[in-house]
Amino acid sequence: MKTEKKDLVTLVVLGLFLLGFSLWALFKPADAASESERRALAQLPQFTAQSVLSGGFAQQFEDYATDQFPLREPFRRLKALTATRILRQRDNNGLYLREGYLSKLEYPMDLSSLDHVEERFSYLCQRYLREAGCSVYLCAIPDKNYFLAAAGGYPSLDYEAFVQELRRRTDGMQYIDVFDLLELEDYYRTDTHWRQEKLLDVAERLAAGMGTHLTGSYTVHTLEKPFYGVYYGQAALPVPPEELCYLTGGAIDTCTVYNYETGTYGPVYDRQKAEGRDPYEMFLSGPVSLLRLENPRNTSGRRLILFRDSFGSSIAPLLLEGYSSVTLVDIRYLASARLGDFIDFTGSDVLFLYSIPVLNNSETLK
Amino acid sequence: MLFSSIPFLYYFLPAVLLAYFAAPRRAKNAVLLLFSLLFYAWGEPKYIVFMVASILQGYCFGRLLEKYHADKRRSKLCLTASVLFSLLLLGYCKYADFFLESFNAVTGLSVPLLRVTLPIGISFYTFQILSYVVDVYRGTVRAQRNFINLAAYIAMFPQLIAGPIVRYADIEPQLTERRHSLRQAAAGAQRFVLGLAKKVLLANVLYQLITVYKQSSQPSVLFTWMYAVAYTLHIYFDFSGYSDMAIGLGQIFGFRFAENFNYPYISRSITEFWRRWHMSLGTWFRDYVYIPLGGNRVPAGRRFFNILVVWMLTGLWHGAAWNFVLWGLFFALLLLVEKAFLLGWLQNAGALSHVYTLLLVVLSFVIFDAGSIPEAFSRLGALFGAGGLPFATAETLYYLRSFAVVFAVAVIGATPLPARLAARLTDGGMGSRVMTVASPLVLAALLAVITAYLVDGSFNPFLYFRF
Repeated sequence: MKTEKKDLVTLVVLGLFLLGFSLWALFKPADAASESERRALAQLPQFTAQSVLSGGFAQQFEDYATDQFPLREPFRRLKALTATRILRQRDNNGLYLREGYLSKLEYPMDLSSLDHVEERFSYLCQRYLREAGCSVYLCAIPDKNYFLAAAGGYPSLDYEAFVQELRRRTDGMQYIDVFDLLELEDYYRTDTHWRQEKLLDVAERLAAGMGTHLTGSYTVHTLEKPFYGVYYGQAALPVPPEELCYLTGGAIDTCTVYNYETGTYGPVYDRQKAEGRDPYEMFLSGPVSLLRLENPRNTSGRRLILFRDSFGSSIAPLLLEGYSSVTLVDIRYLASARLGDFIDFTGSDVLFLYSIPVLNNSETLK
Repeated sequence: MLFSSIPFLYYFLPAVLLAYFAAPRRAKNAVLLLFSLLFYAWGEPKYIVFMVASILQGYCFGRLLEKYHADKRRSKLCLTASVLFSLLLLGYCKYADFFLESFNAVTGLSVPLLRVTLPIGISFYTFQILSYVVDVYRGTVRAQRNFINLAAYIAMFPQLIAGPIVRYADIEPQLTERRHSLRQAAAGAQRFVLGLAKKVLLANVLYQLITVYKQSSQPSVLFTWMYAVAYTLHIYFDFSGYSDMAIGLGQIFGFRFAENFNYPYISRSITEFWRRWHMSLGTWFRDYVYIPLGGNRVPAGRRFFNILVVWMLTGLWHGAAWNFVLWGLFFALLLLVEKAFLLGWLQNAGALSHVYTLLLVVLSFVIFDAGSIPEAFSRLGALFGAGGLPFATAETLYYLRSFAVVFAVAVIGATPLPARLAARLTDGGMGSRVMTVASPLVLAALLAVITAYLVDGSFNPFLYFRF
């Protein structure tokens, strides 16, 4: 091929690429959200004199143009594959794939975060629990890095030191250790969370630690919709979907769930959420600041107050059998100072159940 | 607007290319000027006032300088007024707070800072205007009578925000008499894509490691070396990538901008390094500061002073902070030592001369990147184990493995090897035929991967954006 033809081909190929995507970007209708990234996408900003002069329009337009670019998902996949397969980077956007599991780098131990945990937990104990005669328990949940990181050469938390430090700062609480009951298969491959159907032994350990006993038997159900967890979209790596299972039976079938935010009763498993962006939110409707599960089968009057993060949503129904009610409190969404307006703590069991990533990044605890 | 952004690549660039090539020859500079003003105003519209004022004064004083060329007193007055305007504007926008902070630190006073936001590209266009008026004053170029032509030269978006610093003398004939050809446009497009790849796929990726290092609570000696090497490579690919993009875009529009980098990391001395690094700045300081101060034709003491002044200003040009001054003086010292003792030895020292040069360049960029002089010394100390740092941590080893290929690609990419390999492949025979077919496809694939990185929203700052 003569140089002139090569030059022509170069210009035509690059020109078509640029112009083609340019026209596509111009005329493509804007998407409202990215399913895989689980976020709303930026929309075309309003063109006003003020927004242009302040520079706001330019910034918002850049967000819009990047978010709404055609073939966004394949391009993100291409980037992830280039980073991990060609440049051989061991993580993409802080997420890595090992043994078929996606996990997020979480290190090192953040002592200032543990300071905040100590301060918040201590506040709750002093303000509500000490005078109310509560029995207070604590359980830390390891994330997938506990099983994957160190063995794969990824930087990792020293989990033993972390738990020791946590226990030292919460010495008024009775610690229930569940590390030995968990294994990698108890977690979703593409999500941060644990699998409800694998948690019966953990629930029994927690119940036993708090002086109750669980005997319920459950039936496993599988959602028809394939489950892509939160890490799937963030990593943009090619990982097959998985199944999301949930349990019915025992106290779960007869309990009622009161949502303090809406003032309504709802189901344990939210079907609408199961069809939404994050199917894991089907467990007790996802991020809700204050919920009460009532168990008409247990008339002992015994109550559990569960301070929790999203890991608590899937295990709470399994703990219900031992209690007349389980109240779930998420102090990431509700200020601790307001809890007295809604909850009577008198004589309750209180369990602080948190995953280690939340404890190590605790600035959201109010 | 950054070249390495979706709005530039897929909105601005197609629009300017279509408008430019659709416009009649006489209107091409006006189209370039219009789009350059739009490019500049994007994001920070108010600062366009500074640029337009600078262009206007450059144009007016240029015309006056030519008019009063025979009248030394008047022409000197015009030159002084123009230079003062440029320097005062640059001083106000870039250095006012630096001087106030230093003044406060020395006197213990608390004079309030002005908090002026630095307009993008002001260092580059100010230097271009300065060179223009000085050259007109010297009579080496004629004043530009057509305002649009002069404005298009100063505001031309390919080199507006990151150089190279294009001399008016070099570009004057091209403003009216340039040719457009398929070959030049294709070469420009190729250069642009390769520059964009250097910026997005190497500089930005290396910056991820730099960010991790800066946020790490587990520093180590090895990690600090990784950071220092990553930063040295990052700044090269960032800046030379931008220069490649500027030169490539210039070629598409029919201009020939001077080269700005010539594989500086293969240098055998610091003297050679500065002949290969940011060449347009080096020659600017040589021609408009060093030589007017007397250059080499002065006594040794005065020459020493001249060199210190030039390198202190070079440091300050890069940023209004004392670590940049230190960085400039560090090079002044090295250049003086080389000139006095080392240059001859370095020419025959083989690989040792490369080690010597690279080591000093890496150390210099640690100073350059520091937020303050104490931080610079802290990092320099960390390179040599000061403070009882461990040699390596698990985090260090992880990132060493994670960036090993990036480092390897970057190190090879900073040498002439890839260009030589490409030249050999295209030099006749079967390889040549393969390359002529493969080259456009490789460029398109690169553009796709670059787009993928931009869409994924990877880190995308540009260091020289604020110069």
